[in-house]
Formats: sequence, C-alpha cells, structure tokens
Amino acid sequence: MIKIPVQDKRIIFPVFVMILFCTTIVAGLIGTILPSLNYLPVIGHTQVSLSVWFDFFSYPGIQTSIFVTLFSGITASFVVVSLVFLFISVSHGNALWKFFEKILSPVLSIPHAAFAVGFGFLIAPSGWLIRLVSPLLTGFNTPPDWILLNDPAGISLTIALVIKEFPFLIMVTMGAMGQLDIKKTLFVARALGYKKEQIWLKILIPRLYPHLRLSIFAVIAYSLSVVDMAILLGPSAPSSLSVLILKWFNDPDVNFKLLASAGSLFLFFIVLLSIFFVYLLERSARVFLRPWITNGNRSSFVTLFKPMISFTGICIIIFTIISSVILVIWSFSWQWRFPDFLPATWTLKFWAKGLVSSFDPVMTTLFTGGASAFLGLLLTIGCLEYAVNSNQNRIGQNRIGQNKTLQNKAKNYTKYIHYFLYLPLLVPQITFMAGIQLLLVIMKMDGYWITLMGSHMLFVLPYMFIALSATYLSFDKRVTDQAIFLGRSYTRVLFTIKLPMLLKPILFSFAIGFSVSVAQYIPTMLVGAGRFSTITTEVVNIASGSDRRIMAVYALIQQCLPLIMFAMAIIIPKILYYNRKGMQV
Amino acid sequence: MSLELENLSILKQGSAIFDPVNLVIRPGEITTIMGPSGCGKSTLLSAVSGSLDRAFTLKGSILLNGRNMGDCPMEKRNIGILFQDDLLFPHMNIGGNLAFAIQEKISRVQKSQIIDKALKTAGLEGFEKRDPSSLSGGQKSRISLLRSLLAKPSALLLDEPFSTLDQTLKAKIRSFVFSQIKKMNIPALLVTHDPKDCPEGGMILNLNKEEG
Repeated sequence: MIKIPVQDKRIIFPVFVMILFCTTIVAGLIGTILPSLNYLPVIGHTQVSLSVWFDFFSYPGIQTSIFVTLFSGITASFVVVSLVFLFISVSHGNALWKFFEKILSPVLSIPHAAFAVGFGFLIAPSGWLIRLVSPLLTGFNTPPDWILLNDPAGISLTIALVIKEFPFLIMVTMGAMGQLDIKKTLFVARALGYKKEQIWLKILIPRLYPHLRLSIFAVIAYSLSVVDMAILLGPSAPSSLSVLILKWFNDPDVNFKLLASAGSLFLFFIVLLSIFFVYLLERSARVFLRPWITNGNRSSFVTLFKPMISFTGICIIIFTIISSVILVIWSFSWQWRFPDFLPATWTLKFWAKGLVSSFDPVMTTLFTGGASAFLGLLLTIGCLEYAVNSNQNRIGQNRIGQNKTLQNKAKNYTKYIHYFLYLPLLVPQITFMAGIQLLLVIMKMDGYWITLMGSHMLFVLPYMFIALSATYLSFDKRVTDQAIFLGRSYTRVLFTIKLPMLLKPILFSFAIGFSVSVAQYIPTMLVGAGRFSTITTEVVNIASGSDRRIMAVYALIQQCLPLIMFAMAIIIPKILYYNRKGMQV
Repeated sequence: MSLELENLSILKQGSAIFDPVNLVIRPGEITTIMGPSGCGKSTLLSAVSGSLDRAFTLKGSILLNGRNMGDCPMEKRNIGILFQDDLLFPHMNIGGNLAFAIQEKISRVQKSQIIDKALKTAGLEGFEKRDPSSLSGGQKSRISLLRSLLAKPSALLLDEPFSTLDQTLKAKIRSFVFSQIKKMNIPALLVTHDPKDCPEGGMILNLNKEEG
C-alpha cells in the first residue's frame, strides 16, 4: 500500500561509490599482479614465470630495504597507537586535551611533505635544535658530522611518522567518543573508586577500539608504505621499500616496471600480514587482559607516568608547530651561519622567486584539490542522504527512543559504506596506483587531468565522509519534514533548507578533502604520468640538493593552501549568517 | 473540505497498534486525539501526513475532501503540520521563513504584502527582518503557525504544539491557533495528552487498544 518514495533513486550514490572503489582497487591489483608474474605484453613480456620475483629478492640491498620498511612502519604504528591510548587516559578532559581539540584541524591540515621538510630543518646536524644548544653546551662551531637525518635505520622517519599520525588518531578517537557514554561511565566507575586513567584503560579504550580498528589499520598501511616522507627523511642507499619501488617505476628502463610491480605486491603482503597480526593481537588481548580488567585493582601504573605521557603529548605539538616556524624563518633568511640561532640578514628574494616559479604547480593543485573535493562532497552528501532517508520516512522524532533507532539504522548503513571507503586507505597507495597507471598506459588513457583528479578523489572521499557523517546524520529530520509539509519538493528543501543549515560542517568537510588532495604524492607521480606537477611533487623534487630557503618557501606554500581553505570554512558562514544567532552554534 | 479517516488502523509486524479509527472532521472543526504516551498518537499523525515509517503498514483510508490520500507523497498532500518545537529555519529571517511557505507564483511585492498582513494578525508587525533566535517562545510559536497557514493547507495536524510553552502563554497561543483554524475554515487534528488543550465543543477521541 505504501509506495516506495521516488527519492530512493539516491541509491545510485552508494552503489556508484562501491563500484568505483571496488573496481579501481581490483583493477589496480590486477595491473600489479600480472607484471609481477612477468606478463606485460606492451613491453614484450608474455611468458608467465616467477623470474621477476627471483630478481626482486636478489636485488642488492633488498633485505635492508625490507628491514627499514618493517622497522619504521611497525615501530611508528605501535608507538603512536600506545601513545594515543595513554595520552587519552591521562589527559582526557583537562586543559591540555581542550587545547588539542582547538588546534587539531590546522595541525591535521599540514601536508606530510611540508612537515617532513620542517622536521628535517629541526633535527639536521645544522638544524635548529643543535643551534639552540650550540656553541654554549656543545662547543660546536661547525655542524657535527652525525647522521641525524636520513639515518640508515630510519629512526628520524619513524619519529616523524609518530608525530604526524598522532593528531590523526586523536581526531578519530574524539569522533568515536560520541558513540559511547563517556561521562556516565567515568561517573559510575569513579564512584567505585577507580582512577580516571584506570577507567580509560580498563573500560573505555576496549570499548572504543572497535570504532578505531579501521583507522589503526590505515595508520599501519600508511606507515609501511609512505613515500614522500620517506624520501625526505628516510635512508637513501638503500632506501625503504616504497621509495625503491617508485624509483624502479620511474626508471627509464621499462623492464624495471616488472620489478616495481613485484615490490609493491610484496609491500601489500607485508601490510596485510601486519594488519592480520594486529587483529590476532586484539583477539588475544581480549582474552588475556580480562583477568587484569576484572582484578579489582584500583591503583594504576599509568598514574606514575602521567607527567611523562603529558610531556610527550606536549612535545608532539611543539615539534609540529616549530616545524612550521622554522620554515618561516628559513624562507626569509639570507645569511645564516651555523651556530647562530637566527639569520644575520633577511630577504624577500626567495619568496619572490618561489611564488613565481611555483605558480603552475599551485594552479594544478588548486584545480585538482577543488575538483576532487567538490566531487567528493557530492558523493558524500548523496550517500548520506540515502542513509538518512532509506530506512525511515516519518515526522515527529519527538520521542527520544524513536530518534535513536532511526539514527542507529542510518549509522548501521554508514558502517557498510565505511568498509568500502577504507579500502583505498588499507591497500598501499603505490600498490594499486602502480597497477592503475599500467592499465591506463595500456588503454592509452594516462596523463589526463581527469584521471589524476579521479585518483585523488579515491583518497579524498573517505576523509570527507568520516568528517561529515556524524553531524549530517544527527540533523533534526523534523526541520526538513516541516519544510516538505509546507508544500516544497524534496530537492528544493535539500538545497534551500538542509544544506544551507549544514553549511559550516559541509565547508569543513570540503576543506579536509582539499587538504587531503594537496597532500597526495604517489597518485600525482604515477597517474599524472609526469605530465602534472603539484606543489607537493615539487616540494619532494626540489628537496634533494636544492637551496634550503627555496625549499622552505615551497613547503610553506604547500602548507598554506589547506589553511586558506580552513580559514574560508570558518569565515564564510560567519559572514553569511552574521545576524543569525541560531546558526552560530 | 473535510478530513475523513475510515477504518484506519496501523499495523506493526502484522498486529494493529490501536483499534480502527473512524472520524469525520468538518472544516473549522478541531478533533482531539488523546491517549497515554506510546499509544500511537504520533504514528497516526504521521500516517495522515504521509510520513509513516516503513516498518508500519497502513490499513483503511484517509480522505481529504473526498480524495484518497493513500499513495500521495507528503509534499503533495497539502496537509500542514505543527510540532511542539517551532522548527523555524535558523538561517532565514522571519520574512524568509514565511515567504518559503507561500506557494503561489506571485511578485515579491505581493508576497511581502501577504507577509505583512499575516504578521499583523499575530500582533508581530515589522518582524520581517528579525532573526528567528531573537524571538520569544510565544512569538516563535505564532510565526510557526502563520508559516503553516500561509502554505494554504487543506487540513492541519497539531502534534502536541503547546507542550513546550509555559502555562500563561499556553492559553494565549492556544486561542490564537484555534481562531486561525476557524478563520481558515479547515479541518484540524490535534494530538495531546493535556485535557486542557482540547477546544470547547470539539470532538475527543481516545486512542486505545482492546486487550485480547
């Protein structure tokens, strides 16, 4: 008797996203697997064999590359996850935590490459940290010949990864906290005599973990397969596996493409194995930690380390901030001798030079980022609209109970979309992007801006969806119902009531999508086929051998682009709704 | 112009949540549905307005001016609804909120004349440019009603519209709403759990379910 509403045509949005994501990744993997089996007809390899794999494993220095990858990736993931859990346990709700909440967005918007350049300027033998204590404490008048940057074991890379991933995991955790009744749990358990940090470790984090699982897997996949930061901070000869793969892929000798395919498949294998290992760890922890959770012990070892953990959190933020500050100083410096803390003379020359020479890459970055974030927004809103309307269609969510079941239904549905959206974040970028690039070459479709933009969109969409979904799903449906009862069509209500009311979160999501696009290195390098350079590829390219001052200018330009978007996301609603108090919340 | 419910019942997983309802509401009349919370009052309203959750099945028929509303989507039913919250659109001013409801394709000047007139009837002259959040609770309720009426609905549903107002305000708003419904001469269906909300001489229906 009840007709299925016309609006359910919206199902094309989630279906499109799922098909797009699945086919790209499957196609990418096929494009990697075949060449790794010595099958790449375009360059005359048609004899399927395992010879590529033998070549791969006997490549000089390959063991070291694999070791560096494993060491930096696993250590960084392990440290950052434990640190995030400990940090939440000791500082949730205090002033430091609130400070984190405020600065999270700008900190997250710093592109990896820009951060790596600034971090390098800090820790290098001639960097700011050693200048700070020289010559007073160290007696150095020339930079020491220590290998602090690009160290063979990848320790500087590992530390940089921890610092960069920490705010990301904190943000994901903050989002997941909305799913739990944190306040009540803390209240009840404190009444039972437990300390705050004990409650977090024993009760809240085990309950939060399922919501964080995919993000933690994404951190593992990213740390093991990072390229831009590894080029800037990681060891060079031999480099980590991902950097080696990119080098092979870009080698003028096309036969190296086979080796690159095998390598990137092996990297994928490492990622899968690590994720599986973490999954097993989680399962066994659930069993082994149960006695500890229920032992009734109210004193916590964490309490002893409280100051240390807070201090580490503060250090991470300080490092992130001064990595940007040092870029500013370098970009304006003219003469800066070693032990001096600040440059002796300053200049605008490098900004003038950098702004001119970076004009084309900046334009490419703006267009690619803007287009992919816009497309991402369209798909995100489409999927969320389907989620909101697919399961229910009624007025009066005036009873809290009803409201909850509706939202839970929509949440369940978004959970499925989540799994698809996380796919590109769990497979190493270089693995399936390399495959896609080979397929595009075969189909003679490589080097188009539209494919470049599409490849960015694969990574932009997940973050936009994660950023927008909670606010979007909790939008009071009675408002749109009321508008529809006034006789307006669904589409008109969406565009004149709902989206304008959600302007602020929508612009924020756009800014996040844009900043993710700005940070992309591998998709631009591979899918762009060398025909497109963005500010990010320029930052990484000029990093080797170029002037520090011009490097600083480029890294700052890269860092500014997302910040401008975030600033706009804050300012635009303020201007449009300056006299609407109801919109200021 | 009348709203008729014929043998209307709503099923959830095959069983009716209340006994079949038979009702005829004539223009200008207000019928009140009462019953304890959870008896299905709001569900009945959502069935009439066309926004019933798909977990429910509708039996019987809803006739508006003799036309069966069974398959009609909610934006085409021409049934207005008033919730307990005013639900004014916070990003538009009062004039914008009211203009949103006017369906006729008329000039801007004519629209603003209509809005002026409507505001006058509510004693809120000159409020066009005001920000909704700068209004008092009673003022918001009145604007909300005006907005619903400017869409020229053929019937009006009231879902506990007075429950958030304080006692003194309640009586004032109530009589304003009732007088406006009389003036528009449309049938209205009111859902409430407060016996004082029922208009004098109006029909009262108790929603219940016979056991067994």
